[in-house]
Amino acid sequence: MDTQKVDLFMMINGKYFKAEHLNYIREKLLNIDETKWNRIMALDFKDPNSIMLVSLIGPGALGVDRFLIGETGTGVAKLLTCGGFGIWTIIDWFIIMDLTRDKNMEKLQAYL
Amino acid sequence: MNRNKLYLILILLIAVGYCWLGWSLTQTTHNIGFTPCPIKNITGIACPSCGSTRSVSQIIQGNFTDAFMLNPFGYIIALAMLIIPIWLLFDLISKKDTLYNGYKKFEQTLKIKWVAIVLTLVTLANWIWNIYKGL
Repeated sequence: MDTQKVDLFMMINGKYFKAEHLNYIREKLLNIDETKWNRIMALDFKDPNSIMLVSLIGPGALGVDRFLIGETGTGVAKLLTCGGFGIWTIIDWFIIMDLTRDKNMEKLQAYL
Repeated sequence: MNRNKLYLILILLIAVGYCWLGWSLTQTTHNIGFTPCPIKNITGIACPSCGSTRSVSQIIQGNFTDAFMLNPFGYIIALAMLIIPIWLLFDLISKKDTLYNGYKKFEQTLKIKWVAIVLTLVTLANWIWNIYKGL
């Protein structure tokens, strides 16, 4: 793909991924076919900061943060256990941002 | 979520769940005034799953109607606590990942729009009922 397009993608979406993945994503994007551009730009990435906000306030204890990023299975587990007996809720405050970035990476990986 | 991570989370949840259930069964009164639920602790309002410990212990004692009236989610939890350990053990011993595949299929089902909407409505209705009952 065009360097300009790849740089545009990185500028818009860089914040949705882990820093250590950025280089890999850039290299891969440069190598893929031009026809995938539209589909990649249409991908809906989740913002780690807003998911973090959801996790911190009430809904986090109901697993809503996990439902939002597509981790529905563990979301249900969190909901049924009152936020994992309260402990899981607190653990998620610290790991949900990285989990969101991992999920975004998974979504993009399907096209790389 | 990979297989081993999921199994670790499930083992932890089931272990804590059984310890919690065992401890609450030894308590003679049900109003011990302690709950691990962060929502109830902070706001004083019950969450959708509040009362499920009481519900599960009613199921163990055979009072099935009381259990349903307390919190219908108790049945889901009781089922999960019965099935998941056996399934998990089977997978770990035979080194298969049938539970992991089942989990992924379960996640896919939950992402179907109408399933998600119906389940959300059921949860909300249960929540309103919980608050109304004052659990």
